This record gives sequence, C-alpha cells and structure tokens, in this order.
Amino acid sequence: MSDWKQNLQKTRYVMDALLLVSFMLVSAPQATGVPLHEWLSLLFIVPFAIHLLLHWDWITHSFKRLFSKISAKERFNTVWNYLLYLMMLLATISGFLVSVALLPTLQIDINIQDFWSKIHHDSATLIMPMIGIHLALHWNWMVQLTKRMVGKKA
Amino acid sequence: MKYLQYQWKPRLCYVLAISIFVSILLVSLEWTSWAEQINAQGYSHGDGEGKSKMPSILMYILPFVKELILIGVPMLITVGIAKLIGRFSKRK
Repeated sequence: MSDWKQNLQKTRYVMDALLLVSFMLVSAPQATGVPLHEWLSLLFIVPFAIHLLLHWDWITHSFKRLFSKISAKERFNTVWNYLLYLMMLLATISGFLVSVALLPTLQIDINIQDFWSKIHHDSATLIMPMIGIHLALHWNWMVQLTKRMVGKKA
Repeated sequence: MKYLQYQWKPRLCYVLAISIFVSILLVSLEWTSWAEQINAQGYSHGDGEGKSKMPSILMYILPFVKELILIGVPMLITVGIAKLIGRFSKRK
C-alpha cells in the first residue's frame, strides 16, 4: 500500500477515498455546526480540484468521445459526470451565497436570499444520490483497487 | 505525487477558469422569475424542531447515517441494475 504515490490508479483511489470522506464531513452541518461546515466547504475545494486534476485525461477526451461511437454506459457516465460537476458547483456557489459565518468573517456582506437557501438545501440533498450513482458506475474499478490496495492482488 | 504535480498549474488554471465561468452563469439564476417567485414565497427547512428531544449523541450520528443512506441506497440499486443489464446482454 505504501507505493500508492507511484501508481496512477492507486493515487486516484487514495485521493478519491479522501474526497468521499471530506464530502461526508462537509455535508453534515447538523453535526459539525454551520461555521465549521462553511470553513470545511472552502477546504473541500482542494480535494475536489485534485480529483479533477487526476482525471485530466478523461476530462480532455470525454467531450469528443461523447459524439463518437461509444457504449451506452460510457455515454451515460459522461453525461452524469458533467451533471455532477454542475450540481457540485451549484451547491458550492449557493453555499457561499447563504454564508452566515465564512463571508462575514472575511468582512464580506451579502444579502441572503430565500432562493439561494432553497437551492443550496435542494442541491446538497440531490448531490448525494447522484454521487451514489457515480460510485456505482465505477463499482468494478473500486472493487479491483480495494483488493489491490489491501494486498490480495499485486 | 508525480501524477498530481504533472503540469498542475496550467491544468488548475483551466479548471478554475471554467468553474468560475460556469459559476457566474449559475449566479445569474438569481435574476430569473423562478428566483423571484421563491423569494416572494419565502423558504425555510425546519429550524431545529424536535432536536431538543433527541439525545445529543444522535445529533452527531444521524446526519452521517442520512448521508450513508442517501449515497448507499442509490449506489446499490444502480449496481444491481448494471449487473442485471450485464447478464441480459451476455445472454444475447
């Protein structure tokens, strides 16, 4: 397991696991409290950006491949990933627009609108089943990598 | 971290630029009649009712249980559907 930094798949696996754990922490403001939820959300941009950077090749080729002859599963996966990215942006942006701790600490005053409160609540709830489906679409990869990481298969 | 460090600056700039552009488009939803309608109606999503009766430990555990269910159930259903589709397509 110690060689994960030298292998792209293992690096992705470790970073994706960290992303999932950090997402779960960020998505529980009832447990963490709203101020910590907002500061953790700001930090969450880092593992999310790392996730995108580690899948750079997919990002650069996916749009072109969408218009070529690919399987229905790959097409669905591509569209789903784009929707998930949009939903993640919407949840993040709406979260900043209803901030009661982070932005006031940074001396930024905003007028909180009910619209953004609703959008933040709904998008943050909707993103969870979307992530569940995203994980399911990579189920075989997750099972394979888990076996490799725990040493069942080199 | 060689895979992460490879050309990370230009790549991160692309990701940030696209994300900021899309975010600006999303913020423009604020000026739609949909937003006006929601702002006029008002919105609140349960300001802690029933929490005072709950044991304090549950207040920390239940949000994570909710997440596990909201992520796990659609994941397992999708895995099941994908396996069924896989079996049917193999038979053909």
